[in-house]
Amino acid sequence: MTNLSAVTVEPPRGRAGWRSMLPRWSPKLGVGLVLIGLITFLGVVGPFLVGDPNTIRDISLTAPGGEFWLGTTQTGQDIVAQLAHATRGSLYIGLLVGVMATALSALFGIVGSYVGGYVDEGFSLFSNVMLVIPGLPLVIVISAFVPADQRGSWTIAVVLAITGWAASARVLRAQTLSLRNRDYVAAAKVSGEKPWRVITIEILPNLLPLLASQFVFSVIYAILSEAGLSFLGLGASNSSTLGTMLYYAQNGFALQRDAWWWFVPPGLIIALFGCGLALVNFSIDEIINPKLRDIPRRAAAEAVRVPDPVKRPDDDVVLTVENLSVVYQVENPVHAVKDVSITLRRGEILGLAGESGCGKTTLAYAINRLHRPPAEVTTGSVTFHDLPGQDGAGDDVDVLALTPEELRAFRWSKLSMVFQGAMNALNPVLSIKAQLEDVLTTHRPEMTKAQRKAKCEEVLKLVGVDVRRLSSFPHELSGGMRQRVMIAMALLLDPQVMIMDEPTTALDVVVQRGILREILRLRDEIGFAVLFITHDLPLLLELADRIAVMKEGEVVEYAEAQRMFERPAHPYTRQLLDSFPSLTGERGSFVRSGEQMTPVDRSGEPTPSGGVR
Amino acid sequence: MRYYARKFAFYLVALWAALTLNFFIPRLMPGNPVDILMAKLAQRGGTVDPSARRAYELLLGANSGESLLDQYFSYLGNMFRGDLGISVSSFPTPVSQIIAEALPWTLMLVGIATFLSFVLGIALGTFVGWRRGTWLDSLVPATTVLAAVPYFWLALILVAVLSSAWGWFPLQGGYDVVLWPGWNADFIGSAIYYGTLPALTIVISSVGGWLLGMRNMMVSTTAEDYVLTAKAKGLRDSRIMIKYAARNAVLPSVAGFAISLGFVVAGSIITEQVFSYPGIGSKLLQAVQNNDYALMQGIFLVITVAVLGANLVVDLLYAVIDPRTRVSG
Repeated sequence: MTNLSAVTVEPPRGRAGWRSMLPRWSPKLGVGLVLIGLITFLGVVGPFLVGDPNTIRDISLTAPGGEFWLGTTQTGQDIVAQLAHATRGSLYIGLLVGVMATALSALFGIVGSYVGGYVDEGFSLFSNVMLVIPGLPLVIVISAFVPADQRGSWTIAVVLAITGWAASARVLRAQTLSLRNRDYVAAAKVSGEKPWRVITIEILPNLLPLLASQFVFSVIYAILSEAGLSFLGLGASNSSTLGTMLYYAQNGFALQRDAWWWFVPPGLIIALFGCGLALVNFSIDEIINPKLRDIPRRAAAEAVRVPDPVKRPDDDVVLTVENLSVVYQVENPVHAVKDVSITLRRGEILGLAGESGCGKTTLAYAINRLHRPPAEVTTGSVTFHDLPGQDGAGDDVDVLALTPEELRAFRWSKLSMVFQGAMNALNPVLSIKAQLEDVLTTHRPEMTKAQRKAKCEEVLKLVGVDVRRLSSFPHELSGGMRQRVMIAMALLLDPQVMIMDEPTTALDVVVQRGILREILRLRDEIGFAVLFITHDLPLLLELADRIAVMKEGEVVEYAEAQRMFERPAHPYTRQLLDSFPSLTGERGSFVRSGEQMTPVDRSGEPTPSGGVR
Repeated sequence: MRYYARKFAFYLVALWAALTLNFFIPRLMPGNPVDILMAKLAQRGGTVDPSARRAYELLLGANSGESLLDQYFSYLGNMFRGDLGISVSSFPTPVSQIIAEALPWTLMLVGIATFLSFVLGIALGTFVGWRRGTWLDSLVPATTVLAAVPYFWLALILVAVLSSAWGWFPLQGGYDVVLWPGWNADFIGSAIYYGTLPALTIVISSVGGWLLGMRNMMVSTTAEDYVLTAKAKGLRDSRIMIKYAARNAVLPSVAGFAISLGFVVAGSIITEQVFSYPGIGSKLLQAVQNNDYALMQGIFLVITVAVLGANLVVDLLYAVIDPRTRVSG
């Protein structure tokens, strides 16, 4: 691993590059490294610069100042000299334990989970048992049995390592289990590489950040535990650590004599060193979980926007999006949505098609102002044209200018959403009933309990889900059923617009078809308008009334579905249509083959494009 | 049901492992603890009758010619009868009696302090994680200083400032010694007054860990789809934060309770020493300093059983708050 830098023959396959293993620079990392550096310097170089820490003088408990920067102990020993030697002792034990405990946790965590089977079961049980048996009392008992003259630094370090590895092993095991099933590890195994090679070459590099963080954690644990042991008088004999300093300070009645300079500095060094290590650990954690990275401070308040609704072109339009642009304000700003204008009519299904990353989801979220920083709407407007006769006389609502409270009330009651990936769109720890009802308790506080129950049952029936499912939790439902529940939820407040973001993508074709049929039927019965987002253009050709095709943030074609089917104008639209295979397997023949849009007459047979009628 | 059965089985195994460790540690260590004990006892003028010696030999091991297996089963038998031997340092009080007197103090102190620290840490972590990207973020690194402070050192500092310098709290002890222990208002009030500073020490040193863990989970959870759904549903922020984000984010903290509890217990034992608190920790130290092996091992077992019990309770609670454990087992 040491001469890896010279030539990189092949790019890392699926493994994170080495660069991404290095912590990103941040003030936290800087402060942490400085603290560690200073204290390490004190422990490594300090002892050579100071006098003998054990020299006894007749200046008992001198306050700091003059020759002795930090004063003296009860027997007139120089505190600074003692600190330097004690820091060295503590760091030595911390390092020893860190290495040993990390090695043990790697053995039990990585090897066990890689081998699997009974070995894994056994190792895992062993780690968990070691984890729940309280460590320090065990250490105290063990140390107490070792006669004081045989209790050296190594003995203490071994005992601390034995009692301190289990938590790390558990973390490493979980991570190895997930790595073990990755493609490149499986590939290496299939190609007959030896287990130790797979572990060291394929798995270990990916675990490095985690190992580093567990090592740092072990060092903190060791220094703190050793200090505790020594404070109780059970530490290593003939060695001086920060803990023994505190032990002597306590027994020399430093506290009672107000000799703060004796007992404050050792603890402070431990705390600062631990703090430094923890700050470095923050940076390591950010490699493991990028979500934890610092995000820029939120702007104090969004600039107040003067409501400027677009006049409704005619009574038929329910939503107008005009010249909307959304930019991700990162170092090199990304223009995710560029100058998009679309209108949605009452009761129509408007399809929004495009490949992944074209900005269609960003657009959908921006319409409801669900985009999160760093995404920002830079220009344009979103206007909701309310139905006349309901609350207010058919106001034109500038959605982007709503106050937070107005926006909250607007969401779901006027415009509801069905998200992609029904797997995570439902809260796993709340029952279906609770998740349906909280919409009603928030938006319709005047409803009674019985009315809420009746409404929940009504919408579930509408989407064809058994009302007994109300008491179920999301994990007890199939993917298709979860998506139906989502649609039922979207219907609760009789919204005028429903945005559906890939509502059927994760489902198998038969279920998908059933749900799409349900959406069409509900649209016909209830009359809401749908903005239907998908990457599947052929599906839209059958489902939607009009279609907008997006590419790189722009709407490149916007037309009636029928016309787009007959005469796709933009080359990209043709390309999208061509990219879906037909039933006969020939690319592009899917749409062109039939006179009518009936390519999936053999109902029930899975079609890759998921055509629906 | 399978979940519960598995948990019970696991804690039985853990208990057995602790008992076994307790049996083998003195036998694996150099030196002859029984002789040290006997000498100590003779020094104090205790009568060394054969049955006492036999009990010590079972606990600590000696070359009595009996097979290890026989010793092991006799030892397990003694443990199940609650016979932990006789203390040497307070001869001839049985170990179980000393523990019974000290345990309530520690259970109350550590129990209440841990509960407060957990609730406080979770509440603060929820809030800091939810308000990510505000000035609260800069508080997060500060909590690591608290987490890295040795409990006993913080105790010393608090005593120096709050007790010695300002005189707000007593220097040490568990209650005012002029009072007679009992269930009366004076005594309980005194116990609370004396316990405040030790409890404060435990809360301050352990709250940072809970806070940080919860904050990090909140950050991960607020990126989940169901939180976005909740926002799109137009729910109030307070409800999204509690019922959607925190309700899910708290699960790993509860699941990881075992790990943290070990640290808290360790810290508390040493903290008791600083305050001369009349709990298990002080007794453990007294046992160690006097080579009172029987008392030492008895305390180790009791602490272990208490920690295992607490973890079992938390695991059972976990099944209540995470519906997924109930079915998948």
